[in-house]
Amino acid sequence: MDVVTQMDFITQLNLAVLIVLPVIAAGIMLLVRNAKVRGGLVVVLAALIILASLAFGLRYITGGSDTLLIKDAEWLGYIALAIDIICCVYIIAKGIIYKRFLAVLMALVQGVVVVCLEIFWVHHALESMSHQLYIDGLSAIMVLVIGIIGSGICIYANGYMVDFQKHEDEHGKKDRRPVFFALMFVFLSAMFIIVLSNDLTWLLTGWEVTTVCSFALIGYTRTDEAIRNSFRQIYMNLLGGIAFSVALVILASGAVAGTKPTLELSALIAQGPSVLVMLPVMLLALAGFTKAAQMPFHTWLLGAMVAPTPTSALLHSSTMVKAGVFMLIKLAPCLGITTATGLVNFNGWIVVLVGGVTFLGCSCLAISQSNAKRVLAYSTIANLGLIVACAGVGTPEAVWAAIFLLIFHAAAKSLLFLCVGTTEHHIGSRDIESMDELFDRLPNISRFTALGILCMFVAPFGMLISKWATIVSLAETGNMILLVILAFGSAATFMFWSKWLGKIIAVSHASNEAEKGVHKTEWFSLALMAFLAFAMCVFFPLISEFSVVPYLKAAFPATLLTAAISLDNLIIMAVIALLLLAIFAIQFFRPRSKAEVGIYLAGVGTNSEEREYTNSLSQTAKASQRNWYLDKVFGEKALYLPSYIVTIALLVIGLAAAISIGLNFIQI
Amino acid sequence: MTIVSFIISLVCFTIFAPLLGGLLAGVDRKITARLQSRVGPPLLQPFYDVLKLWNKQKWTVNSYQGFYILMSLVFAIISGVIFFAGGNFLLVVFVLTLSSLFFVIAAYSTRSPYAEIGAEREIAQVMSYEPMVIMLCVAFYLGMDVLNGVSNPGVFDTSAVFALDRPLITCLPLIFVGFLFILTIKFRKSPFDLSYSHHAHQELVKGISTEMSGRTLALVEVTHWYENILFLGWTGIFFVWGNWLAIPIAIVALLVVYFLEIFIDNNFARVKWGAMLRWSWIVTLVCVTVNLVSLNWHWLG
Repeated sequence: MDVVTQMDFITQLNLAVLIVLPVIAAGIMLLVRNAKVRGGLVVVLAALIILASLAFGLRYITGGSDTLLIKDAEWLGYIALAIDIICCVYIIAKGIIYKRFLAVLMALVQGVVVVCLEIFWVHHALESMSHQLYIDGLSAIMVLVIGIIGSGICIYANGYMVDFQKHEDEHGKKDRRPVFFALMFVFLSAMFIIVLSNDLTWLLTGWEVTTVCSFALIGYTRTDEAIRNSFRQIYMNLLGGIAFSVALVILASGAVAGTKPTLELSALIAQGPSVLVMLPVMLLALAGFTKAAQMPFHTWLLGAMVAPTPTSALLHSSTMVKAGVFMLIKLAPCLGITTATGLVNFNGWIVVLVGGVTFLGCSCLAISQSNAKRVLAYSTIANLGLIVACAGVGTPEAVWAAIFLLIFHAAAKSLLFLCVGTTEHHIGSRDIESMDELFDRLPNISRFTALGILCMFVAPFGMLISKWATIVSLAETGNMILLVILAFGSAATFMFWSKWLGKIIAVSHASNEAEKGVHKTEWFSLALMAFLAFAMCVFFPLISEFSVVPYLKAAFPATLLTAAISLDNLIIMAVIALLLLAIFAIQFFRPRSKAEVGIYLAGVGTNSEEREYTNSLSQTAKASQRNWYLDKVFGEKALYLPSYIVTIALLVIGLAAAISIGLNFIQI
Repeated sequence: MTIVSFIISLVCFTIFAPLLGGLLAGVDRKITARLQSRVGPPLLQPFYDVLKLWNKQKWTVNSYQGFYILMSLVFAIISGVIFFAGGNFLLVVFVLTLSSLFFVIAAYSTRSPYAEIGAEREIAQVMSYEPMVIMLCVAFYLGMDVLNGVSNPGVFDTSAVFALDRPLITCLPLIFVGFLFILTIKFRKSPFDLSYSHHAHQELVKGISTEMSGRTLALVEVTHWYENILFLGWTGIFFVWGNWLAIPIAIVALLVVYFLEIFIDNNFARVKWGAMLRWSWIVTLVCVTVNLVSLNWHWLG
């Protein structure tokens, strides 16, 4: 095997370990049947993956970049093709078993397109291939996010699945945990391939593997609901996969006038906002929308929560949906709202508007949900929408904001999912209304949840800083529509987070602590995520300076990058963060200085904990109070129809424009 | 914002804002009383009230509430200090949001049904005014951009208003109207005083402050004074430019605006949350869109 690269041998080995180790780990998971042995192995293997990604990520996060070309790599191409075909066959088999023939048909189409691509066109593009793998600041960040957060979730799953299986045993279900852990690890490997490949056929393989893995994970419990939701996921993501492979056919066949046949992501990006590549870029953006669960494709992510919580945490934070937004961030130089010649760039506008409408719609929808996981899901989709919109704006400042939204969201959202998962096992509900007085029952879990919630929406934490940068970059480019959307969406965000925070922060001193049964692996992962979420806020100027800015300078060579938020303001934020930490620390050690009384209950209060009082008829009455969900205004019934109409119309317009304009440049 | 301006602002705002805010509250009560054909309390009554609260017996429903209220006050002060030091407008808004969050959390922490209803209403109020407040910052930036001309791009630093040739109100009139609309919510004036009202006749027990007493309630009152001065600062920013005439004109404008708020307060009954949310969002959307689009056509992209 002949390799052309600047990388030293150790780093090459490290790269190979990153991609292969999770696959080996998956194999081991399938072989080991003893739960205790598996538990130990999961921790060891996940720790190894964390180490490998740390070694690799930290090497490149300080601004280095490298490419790697493997000569005579047809055999690797055949492996990728084989994996594609296995994925299609798996979906076809499942489709036949569960009589979902649409899935069979779509998988067949996908398979045929991929095979034709290999037979007719790949060799054109292969000759001119400059490199198949690359590493830059962005992919280093992605490797760290996937490696650390993804593996952290695998460690968490260890303890979680013990409790989960207990519940499954009661219903006489088979123990399928080996498959579960194998899928989790394969997922990581596929994600590494996605963020490191420059060869688009390899990227497509990683893309398809994540689709199939999440299909299998969502359907893990094999209940009717799980099967239904897993097929909904497959319909939407196969649509994206087909769009992806058609884009590859257009690029590899050299059908676009004025461009050479290529299968390189770097060559596509180098075209910039050009009408020549309008059609393939639109198709790839469509694939990104499906994977990043943008409206109208968002329902698959809502359905994904039937799976065990670690799956949701993985899908929402470091994998799957992040593959979608990663793709759009990479494509950002081809987006932007104007083309190189100063005309309106349809692709950029469609991406901006789909992302913007998704952000506004889902932020509002989250208000109407009382199911904690559903709130998290809508919030994820909303934040992905914001990232997508920033990528669509396509200026370096907006992409800067998009990358930081992605990083901060990964840590905070995985923390929140893990908290909700553990809470659900210990209070028997995932309803926010049941989380009343959580602070009394699960004090430390509540603190973690509160930190996660704060990280999602207020100063001085990461998501807000990214949002701030977004506002500044949008004001600079004068993108009025997105600014208005952002302002209204942020207001909705305040509503649903603060009312949830209020619910868990309530205290009544009724000490019925239920925290004893939380597994050590769960504590470890929760602490890891909390640490990451906080540390990122502190180290964030460094990450910006050394890895994101160099990446942007390389990706946008023509434009000057100005800091959206000046350093003194960042320092004020950091000081406020430390101040908050310090005063909270003091607060917990402070002795109580005031006498305590019961709350006011419009009668003679008899029991503050239970909110019971004696009313005017001398009867004992109980006060109860639910949070506001404003279902009539922000419910799914009210908002789904308009959001569907707008986003579907946008997609139709975008595709029609891309086809009608793009076809002018295609020679057959 | 320099270190020197920050320190001056820190000292002045921390000391003088509550004095001014308290006086303003006294004037407010006087004028309100006259509008209702009453004599009204002495001018310094708000200070007497706070002093009395401060010397009350120390009772509380839990040991966290006082702490949350203190945080709410601290962040309101930080926000105001940054504003008057000429700092970043967006930063001012974000820190003030943190202050509102702590106020809401303080009420929630009690688990009292009445305080919880108050907290929900407070959240609805934040949600109603937040879009306009963010767009106010954006409009500030775009207005500076237009008034500064091509040589100087827009800025978010409030200190930049003193370098203008003419005040922002000349290019942001509709933004000012939209801001006045949500200012009623921010001042906690009827018809938008859903969570916490000074008028006993339209209050559900005591809204968000139901479970707050003694020193905690005194701090709530003082926080409100600080906030009011900060909001008057936001109003003033429309009328200030690089001329000594700006100061008397801005003061007259602030007095007019405050009287207008008192007048509205006394002439409208409290509305439900839906009306508040709907109208503030509609007014925001219309004012912002019309003003910013007419400001400069090329901003449509």
